[in-house]
This record gives sequence, C-alpha cells and structure tokens, in this order.
Amino acid sequence: MLYLSAFVILVVGALTYRSITEVTKSSEMVTHTYKVNVELEQILSNLKDAETGQRGFIITRDSLFLDSYISGRSKINNSFAELKVLTRNDTLLNTNLIALNSLINKRLIAFQTSYSSLPKDDIDDPTFISNFRTGKSLMDSISTKIKSIVTLQNNILQTRKNEYESDLMATPLLLFSLLLCSLILMYVAYNNIYKNIKKLKATNEALEIFKESTNQSEIVSKHGSWTWNVKNNVFTFSDNLYRLIGEQPQSFKPTIENFLNYVHPEDAEQLSEQVEQMKEDVELPYIYYRVVHKNGNIKHLKAYGKSLINEDNDTVLLGTTADITDEIMSFRALEERNMELERNNKELSSFNYVASHDLQEPLRKIQTFLSRLEDEEAENLSSKGTKYIDRIQNAATRMRLLIDDLLQFSRSNKADKVIEESNINLLLEAAKQDLAEVISAENAEITSDTFPTIKVIPFQIQQLFINLLGNAIKYKAEGRTPKIVITHKVVDAEDEENIVKPKKPFYHKITFTDNGIGFEEQYAEQIFILFSRLHNKDEYSGTGIGLSICKKIVENHSGYITASGQPGKGAVFTVYLPID
Amino acid sequence: MQEDYINIILADDDEDDRLFFTDAFEEIKITTRVKTFNDGVYLMDYLNTDGIQLPNVLFLDLNMPRKSGLECLREIKQNEKFNDIAIAIYSTSASEEDIEKTFIKGANIYIKKPSDFKTLKKVLSEVVTINWQYHTNSMNKENFLLRF
Repeated sequence: MLYLSAFVILVVGALTYRSITEVTKSSEMVTHTYKVNVELEQILSNLKDAETGQRGFIITRDSLFLDSYISGRSKINNSFAELKVLTRNDTLLNTNLIALNSLINKRLIAFQTSYSSLPKDDIDDPTFISNFRTGKSLMDSISTKIKSIVTLQNNILQTRKNEYESDLMATPLLLFSLLLCSLILMYVAYNNIYKNIKKLKATNEALEIFKESTNQSEIVSKHGSWTWNVKNNVFTFSDNLYRLIGEQPQSFKPTIENFLNYVHPEDAEQLSEQVEQMKEDVELPYIYYRVVHKNGNIKHLKAYGKSLINEDNDTVLLGTTADITDEIMSFRALEERNMELERNNKELSSFNYVASHDLQEPLRKIQTFLSRLEDEEAENLSSKGTKYIDRIQNAATRMRLLIDDLLQFSRSNKADKVIEESNINLLLEAAKQDLAEVISAENAEITSDTFPTIKVIPFQIQQLFINLLGNAIKYKAEGRTPKIVITHKVVDAEDEENIVKPKKPFYHKITFTDNGIGFEEQYAEQIFILFSRLHNKDEYSGTGIGLSICKKIVENHSGYITASGQPGKGAVFTVYLPID
Repeated sequence: MQEDYINIILADDDEDDRLFFTDAFEEIKITTRVKTFNDGVYLMDYLNTDGIQLPNVLFLDLNMPRKSGLECLREIKQNEKFNDIAIAIYSTSASEEDIEKTFIKGANIYIKKPSDFKTLKKVLSEVVTINWQYHTNSMNKENFLLRF
C-alpha cells in the first residue's frame, strides 16, 4: 500500500512537473515571439523615424532633423543586437533577419548616398531622384520583409498560443486528477491509519486487561514472576513476587542480593548455587526454598525458570515463583492423617486377627472338653445335664462360626495380595470341592460357563465362589432341589447400569442365579453390610459376614457386586471384574 | 525292642493341649512313647543332648514363648542329624501365611488343632502311622494341610 501510494504520487508529481514545465516553456515562447515582433516593429518604426529625419533635413537643411536620423540608426542597431540574442536558436528567423539586416544596411547606405549626393536645394536633380526612388523601393521591401517576418512570427505565435492554451487546458485537468489522486490516497492512508490505530487501541486494551488479570491471577494463585537478563544482570520482579516475600510491590531494587535477604538462612546457600546454575542451563528443574517474612512467617516457595534469547541476543531467564506453603501444609496434614489411618488400619487388622486367632484357643478347649464330657461322662449326667451340655455345644459352635468368618473377613482386608493370571475354572472347581459335602447332601445342581483366565487374587476369588455357592445352597427353597447357574460374558462398562464410575472400559460379568428363597428387592444393598442378616438365626445359621466378605473381595479387585432377588423364586448375584 | 514303639515329641506351651495330646495317645491303640516340652528352648536343649533317642514324629506348636515353633523348625532343618524326624505343625490357626512359611521351611504336615476329642484321636493316629518316606516324596502344598 505504502509503495503503491508512493509510486502513484511520484508518477502524478512527475507528470505535473512535466506539464508545468511545458506551460512555462510555451509561455516563455509566446513572450519570446512577442518580443521579437516588438523589436521588429521597433526597427521599422526607427527606420521610418530615420527616413522622416532625413526627409526633414533634405527639405529644411536643418541639421536638427539629422539627430533623429542618427538616433534612429543607433536604435536600429540596438534592436538588431537584441534580436540577435533573441533569435540565436531560431535558424529560420536568423536567415530572415540576416536578409532584413542586409536590406536595412542597403537602405541606410541609400540614405547616405541620397543625402550626400544631394545638390544644394536641387531636389529635382535626376541622380537625387533616382537615389530617392531606390530608397523608397528598399524601404518598401524592408517593410514587406518585416511584415513577412511578423506574419511568420505571428503564425508561430498562433501555434504556440494554441499549444499554450491546450497546455493550459491540460494543466488544470492534470492538477485536478493529481488532487483527486492525492485525496484518494489520503483517504486510503487515513483509513488505514485509523484502522491500525483502532487495532492498536484494541490490542493495547486487551494487553492492559491481560496485564491486570495476570496481576490478579498472580495474587489469587499466589504466584510471582521475574525476568533476569543474565548479560547485564538486570532483574524485574512482578508486584506479587514482592508480596510473596511479605513486601510492598516494587519497594526495593530487584536484585538477587536483595532477594536473598529474605531467603531462609538454611536455604540461602543452596538457592545461590542454583541461581548460578541457571545461567548455564537452558531448562531448569523446580527449585524449592523458604523465605522468611519480616514478621517471622515462613513461606515455602517453588520456582521455575526458562531461558530465552531476546532480540539483542542476550540470555533472558523467565521465571515463575509460587507460594506452596498451603500445599505443603495440607500435604503434611494429609500425610499425617494417612499415616494415622494406616496405623489405625494396621492396628485394627492385627487386633481383628489376633482377637479371632486367640479367641479360638479357649473356645477350642471348651469344645474339646465338652466332647470329652459327652463321650466319657454321659452316663454320669442327668438328662437335664446332657441337655445343657448340648446347648453349650451349640453356642460354642456358633461362636466358632463367627470367629472363623471374622477371621476370614479380616484376612480379605489385606490389599497387598498378589494379583495373578488365574484359571477361574480351577478356582470354581476347588470351591465346589470345598463345598462337596453340602452339595451332595442337598443334591445341588451347579452348571457354569467356561471362564477365560482372569487377573485375580486366586484364594480370594475361590472364597468368593465358596461364599456365593454356599449361600445359594443354604437359602434353598423348601421342596426344590437347589439349581445354580453361573454365566460369564465380557461387557462394555457403559452398557451396565450397575457399574458406577467405571475405571476400565470392559468388565467380566459373572452371574450366579439360584432358585432359592430369594429376598425382597429393598434388601438388595443391605445384605452386603457386615453382620446384617435377613433371617432369624434359628431359621438359617449364618453370621452376616459371608456377603460382606464377598463385597470386600470384589472391591479388592476394583470390581462391583450386586444382588437382586424375587421372594420365593430365587436370587441373582452379579460380579463385575475389570479387564486391564 | 526300640522298633516296637513310635517316639513322639510335642512342644506346646499350653497345658490343656499337652493334656489332650497325651490323653489321646493313651487311648489310641498304637504303641507310642510321648514326650512333651513347654517351649522351643526346652525342646531344642533336649534334641541337642548327646545320646538321646530322636523322635520319629515331632509335633510343633507355632506360638510359643522364648523360642517359637518356626525358629525350632529352622534350627532342626539346618542340622543334618535331624533329617529323619518327621515334623508336624500343630497349631490353633491355619492361616495362609503360617501354612506357606512352614511349608517352605520344610515341615512335613500341617495340623490345625481339632475342637473335638474324637477327631483329635483320629488325626493323631493317622499322622503317626503315615509312611513318611512315601508322604514326603509326594508332598505338595495342596496336601500339606491335613484335612479332616
């Protein structure tokens, strides 16, 4: 745009200059022609003056008339000299002038001759008359010559006038177009400048807003920023960097020495070293250090810098420093809480284990002594005594069941078990083996799909199977042979409403469908809670731990377990195990 | 003469358990000679005494003061002269961890103490009549824990 405008202006300027020069030239030429004509008329008039003077002298013999003759001559010479200058570049005019000059010379000679040949008072003298006539004819031819020259000049003048006029006509047009061009250019330029200024203004405004928001975000996020021109060792600190060290913005000169005054004495040396290191490295690791505010508060800062090369080829470090005191504090609190939790968990777990384990010993002895009483002392006991012993035996058995289940529950707590690729079919077989006695006693029918290998904690999954199958058999419907169908398929987590917030896209879905007594749908979640039971223990023996163990095991595998039931018809337990 | 009875030793800190143990063997119709020790230290002192008759089967409780069953097991397995002793772990619990550890350390069988005297007698008579030569060769983790 700039080049184009410059080009247009230059072209228009050149054209105008040329046109003005043309006009000046034609005007000069017109003037010139007029001057020549004037000179020529002058010459003729002078010649006439000379002639008149001569005539006067001839008639009166008064030498006074000769004066005008003499002055006429000198004037003619002057005019000629002037003409010579005026016509030095005009060959045609020159030739004509030379011819005129010779005619004038001849006429002057004729003057001289007739004047000198004039006899005293005899104007009828034939020689004189002939001389006079020659003079007259010469005068005529001079007059004709001058006229012809003037005509010629006039013609030229006319042409020049025409040219001049057309030039004069052309000049305003050119000037006008120049003006128009300039106006357009000015408009375009103005428009451009206006647009640019608007853009610049908008950019400036955006920059201002950005700067302000940066300031605010620095305050909110407890960040500060700085730059460091390594070559001339010039720093800039952002306002909030000052606040991070407990000072008013820009309250001291930003130098590393001044900054180090605020750094915790234990960290100062290391920080100085790291700052030195920054000069060398392009990208730097995070630097952690503490600063001490004037009021004694200690803050933890974390800095990160990156080096850039600026326009002057200087290395400039661009850095961000963040106050991470809160993070560190909450991290520490979290760590403490975690440790406490871990300790509690450990204690609980070991308490659980020890309690279950140590409880078994006295119980076992009670049971053993009871069995000995029954076997060896039965005849010494009354029927009442035998009945009481029976009651004690029952209570002890139940206690054993509780302890065993609790023990198992506390064992399923341990999350550090190894997960390995396992043959699920074998685990199911082992579970059935474990339940062989009840299965055969109840004539239970168990059918199952073939499982792929799945990554699990083997003994826990076996326990899961034992508990689920055991449950299905235990809660069989009166008068129906227990039938349990186990199916397996791979499902998309998104298609299963039972999977909430899935961690993996695909899951193994294993269902256990039985034809037992089922349960009311409203208890579907409750049954997994520790010690929760839906039936009186006189109807069904149970501790309310079995399904809690199932849930714990499935959760250990990052899976899901759900139950649904129809009273009198059966229950379905669904287990989802994630696929890696 | 010595071949007629089976030499049995039990190390258990629990008095009742020692009583059940000796009572059971008295009722079992197998000729046995049973010795009991109150903890691992007494046991190892005895075993390391010169000239004593080494037991055929040693029953080891795991949880004992001073020296645990596991420590005894390690010491016994480190000494070649005890190579012929069959070692039965005799414990209240049967946790995976204990079973795993004792199996690796070279015990021959793991017995969870029964809570019924009849069962106890049955288990003990089974264990002392095992052909250890055969059992040891076919031993694996699955049949290590005695099921009853």
